Amino acid sequence: MIDPFLAWVESTALSQWVVGAPTMFAFPGILTFHAIGMGFAVGISAALDLRILGVAPGVPLAEMRRYMPFLWGGFWLNAVSGVLLLIGYPTKALTNPVFYLKLTLIGIAMALLARISRQVFPTGGSGGSSDPPITSKLRNLAIVSLICWAGAITSGRLLAYTYHRLTQLH
Amino acid sequence: MDLHHFQVWLVTTIGGKSAIADLMRTAWAWPIAESLHFLGLCLLIGSIGAFDLRLLGVARRVPIAAVHRFIPWGLLGFAINIMTGSLFILTEPDQYIYNPSFHFKLLFMTIGGLNAATFYLTSYRRVFGPGASLDAPRRAKVIAAISLCAWIGVITGGRLLTFYRPSACEGPQTALLLTCAP
Repeated sequence: MIDPFLAWVESTALSQWVVGAPTMFAFPGILTFHAIGMGFAVGISAALDLRILGVAPGVPLAEMRRYMPFLWGGFWLNAVSGVLLLIGYPTKALTNPVFYLKLTLIGIAMALLARISRQVFPTGGSGGSSDPPITSKLRNLAIVSLICWAGAITSGRLLAYTYHRLTQLH
Repeated sequence: MDLHHFQVWLVTTIGGKSAIADLMRTAWAWPIAESLHFLGLCLLIGSIGAFDLRLLGVARRVPIAAVHRFIPWGLLGFAINIMTGSLFILTEPDQYIYNPSFHFKLLFMTIGGLNAATFYLTSYRRVFGPGASLDAPRRAKVIAAISLCAWIGVITGGRLLTFYRPSACEGPQTALLLTCAP
């Protein structure tokens, strides 16, 4: 069964470049950027979660905000590289339920990050001196955030093992 | 014993025949180990990377020693990755020991390790001692920049492994390391 939209995506020059260009900057390079972006996005989000859970208590929670640009750098690197990988193999991703699980877990993790950020980074940019109290609710958000990232990474890795169709032709 | 013979000796000695290798060949062991390897990567970058960034001047109002308390979590990530990485090598030794991408990965790991050792040997007192400045000395900043580059190099070498799988050797090999299976 041919899906005309997926067949069209796979016929575009960009898709064929991602999949087939004889250069390490195409598919292998995009995958590499995806792994590096993951390290910064998930790593720094996890560091914020760990800080909430009591690690590195000497770091003022509000000062963790200085690391957020690197988290967002990793996130956008992965949004772009992820879309390129999706354009390369749309059938492989979109016909696999695990791919939707991965996106859902990333969505939940980012929503949790937004909630955590609102609570721990005082607005107004006054460089607030006093940290907000670490409530048990905040701790729970941090724990669920760590679980969601672990799930997103695991489901992402499983994509290589669980797909049913690689392309419209295969 | 030259390096080529050492590589062949390693591959034949490991052999990929052990209880661990058998376990790794079961349906889900390899993907689970890979997932743990990625989680370890994130812990390492999130902790050691955050410390390197602090040395380079990010979050400069925070005492450097306070950010250093994240480092044990980076070491935990590193330990997870040494363990899961060993599982891969014990199962498919030729796929790593003859793989040029793995050689570069090991090179970057060595640079990262020696670089970290250099930090503790040369800069520990000035960064953490009494009266330590909030601004890291220039030498510590250079070390931090090398650290970030080295770990990104390690990720790159690891991610590209699959695109440099060794094939069977043809003719005599003259490179420093074997990048084909004899």
